[in-house]
Amino acid sequence: MKTHVMISQELSKQIGVTALTEACNCRTPQGRRLKNALVFYPPSQIDELRSEFQAIDNLRVMIATNHPEVIEGQTQLSRLRELRGTFSRLEKGGLLNDTEFFELKSALKVFFRISRLKALLNAAGLQFLVTKKASKLLDPAGSGNPAFHIYSAYSPELAKIRQEKKELERAIALEKGSQRQTLLRQRTLLVDREDQLENSIRVELGEKLLKWLPEMQHNIETCALLDFRIAKAELALRWNGVLPTLLSNETPTQIKNASHPVIAKMLENQGQQFTPVSIELHKGTTVLSGANMGGKSIALKTVFLALLMCQLGYFPVCERIQTPLFDFMAFESNQEGDLNRGLSSFGLEAVQIREHYRRSRSEVGLIIMDEPCRGTNPTEATAIVQALCNIYGRSSSRFFIATHYHVMPNPGIRFYQVRGIRTESLAELPPHRLQSNTSDKNDKTDHRSYDLHEDISRVRRIQNLMDYRLEEISENTRIPSGAIKIAELLGVNQELLHEMETARQEEEWQNSD
Amino acid sequence: MNDFKPSIVKLAGLEMLHSLAIIGLSKNAGKTTCLNHIIADWQSSRQPRPLALTSIGRDGESEDILSGRAKPRIYIPAGTLLATAEGSMQRCDALLEILELSDIRTPIGEVVLCRALSDGYVELAGPSSSDEMDHIADLVRQHEPDCLFIIDGALFRRSQAGSGRNEAIILAVSAETSTNPRILAEKTRFSLDALQRPAINTEINELILNVLSDNLRASALFIRVNNYIPEVDILETPSLVGFGHEIAKKIVDGTDFLFLKGAITDQVIDQLLKEETFKNLTLIAEDGTRLFLKPETTRKLFAKKIDIRVLNPLDVRLVCLNPTHSNNQVIVSERLLAELQQSINVPVVDFGPANM
Repeated sequence: MKTHVMISQELSKQIGVTALTEACNCRTPQGRRLKNALVFYPPSQIDELRSEFQAIDNLRVMIATNHPEVIEGQTQLSRLRELRGTFSRLEKGGLLNDTEFFELKSALKVFFRISRLKALLNAAGLQFLVTKKASKLLDPAGSGNPAFHIYSAYSPELAKIRQEKKELERAIALEKGSQRQTLLRQRTLLVDREDQLENSIRVELGEKLLKWLPEMQHNIETCALLDFRIAKAELALRWNGVLPTLLSNETPTQIKNASHPVIAKMLENQGQQFTPVSIELHKGTTVLSGANMGGKSIALKTVFLALLMCQLGYFPVCERIQTPLFDFMAFESNQEGDLNRGLSSFGLEAVQIREHYRRSRSEVGLIIMDEPCRGTNPTEATAIVQALCNIYGRSSSRFFIATHYHVMPNPGIRFYQVRGIRTESLAELPPHRLQSNTSDKNDKTDHRSYDLHEDISRVRRIQNLMDYRLEEISENTRIPSGAIKIAELLGVNQELLHEMETARQEEEWQNSD
Repeated sequence: MNDFKPSIVKLAGLEMLHSLAIIGLSKNAGKTTCLNHIIADWQSSRQPRPLALTSIGRDGESEDILSGRAKPRIYIPAGTLLATAEGSMQRCDALLEILELSDIRTPIGEVVLCRALSDGYVELAGPSSSDEMDHIADLVRQHEPDCLFIIDGALFRRSQAGSGRNEAIILAVSAETSTNPRILAEKTRFSLDALQRPAINTEINELILNVLSDNLRASALFIRVNNYIPEVDILETPSLVGFGHEIAKKIVDGTDFLFLKGAITDQVIDQLLKEETFKNLTLIAEDGTRLFLKPETTRKLFAKKIDIRVLNPLDVRLVCLNPTHSNNQVIVSERLLAELQQSINVPVVDFGPANM
């Protein structure tokens, strides 16, 4: 994923990648390794990704109907252990010990059991290679007993020694004192010979099993794939994921009612509801504007996560999604915690801008930026944001940006805004305590203390008045002015509010010149 | 000593027993010798059930790591189950069939469940925590539901009240503790007294088990009975050692019962004894093996009217006496036996060296 997805570790957590891998429950160490590798499907692998999605979709149906082959498959998979060490030792010609032979025997049994689950393998689009002869090596008598030891059946000589030893042990059991000690010493000699023979059998057994290593490796990889696909199908059921439609690069990305599983869960715990995000991203630039607290960052994260899940082979959480695949994906938000990377915040942004643009000249990317240049002086920031929108407007990549700066319409730039505060619901919110006129107007000192809990609950109530839905707007729509309204709702002094409003009108009047 | 040896199986009532732990009063207390006596007697008395053996951590090596002195080895008959680490398995000379890998790791490899297909010498290196021991016991029961499961060492299965499991203990005592018969008898009596602490009443027992099952990290419970209605306060600390002060702070005037999970040591109790409120209550341990208190500390507790009880009372069946010291000094067994038999309520036997 590293070369294809450009996000910091901190952001990756915020966006929900960590939560995604944690929620996807693999049963085998091999499946978990595959999951943690975060394999990214670039456009050149669109066919592989389509088959992956098809398999997950098939498995999802089987899981939803409690198909017995799924249950048996899962049971068998959970028996699989980490075999990398054993395989590598086998490959290097090292002497395996009995525990390792036991591990191989158990794995071969798992392969055999799963290979019989035709419906499951068909659905998952997977096939096992036959390893019956390898199984036979570890169960020479064909007893089917899952236990293992170096069997007497491997060598008539070993069988003979063991027989001899057994008779001696029978005698030892009946003897006491010095006679017993003599017999025990005799036994030690037999044990030594038995050990030598067992070791040469271990060497031979290793050599014979080595011939089956490619088949066993193929089968273990197949188990990993099966495990990971079942886990993804289970997650799709749990999170209400949807089978994405993959398209060529020319068609716009369309996402309908996407949810962010982590944020939605968090809101649910607070008794609130996540507003699904719907959007179209054409090639070029899409600008998202909207009031503060309007959920722009959440919308960006939701869109990014949906498209990232898609390219990592997961079913995105939405009602419908169709999209082309991207060569690379980037999400930049310099809101917190980035200063300690040793660059000033704009220095860091400049580096990111340089890297994304460099890549976008030869590859098709999805570049999402959450309020870039937020700490830069507004004149230059507006110019930089405008330039980014213009230049990506002419590229094949998709540039999706949330900003408060005014972006002028140009070819290849589309505009969205968060609907913002529902003015019709404002009456539901009583005036702020700090604005009520109970205190003496002549008294300039205001001793009413501020209450953090009250403010938090008020912020929540304002959030409830927000309409978080995105809507496409024409290029000439004025930037919505929500910030001053929110300041008012949070009880900012009337005089200060008045000053804010005057300053805003002056600014607008100057800009309209 | 006369040649007649009593049957350890009969004397300790092992025929119908589910599981047994052999605890040593000191290093070189003769645990392995005692285990070998049980194995030999089990075989010669033709017990129909198989034995399953494991140890707490590592034991049964041919040499004692500390003293370099030869230690008795364990010789088992075919059919015995064994839970031992990979490293020890390779030093066993009985033919072992691997039944299961436990996923429990020790410094010398994973603990493996095996069945002996021949007689032979084995080395035991089992798990080191109660939870892991529970897991091993479960694995053993899956393969041999009816076996006598013997743990060389003291971690006990956390039994649920009324689970009907019968578990017993044999205490191994040697001259290592003291070569003076009177002192040895005194120390043995004191340890037995701790091991055999009586159970707390059923209501409080059930209450504690319920609270513990909901609060897995609780290390101390403070119970106050008000008008027949118990109120429980819970403390979570990573261990008891080093947290005496935190525990002490939570004891109030009306605290009737204090339950402490894990090893109860002098250090912990000394800190509690400094508190004015730590008096007139019942101190509850998981079982007698968690009590590591000097006689003096115990006396101080009794002086403050603190009674000691346990959740799971232990059933000590036998004291196995080994009259030798690691410096090869041997005490006259008869004197020791006489001294011990006078002062304790459990049979004491010297079975002599095992027939290895």
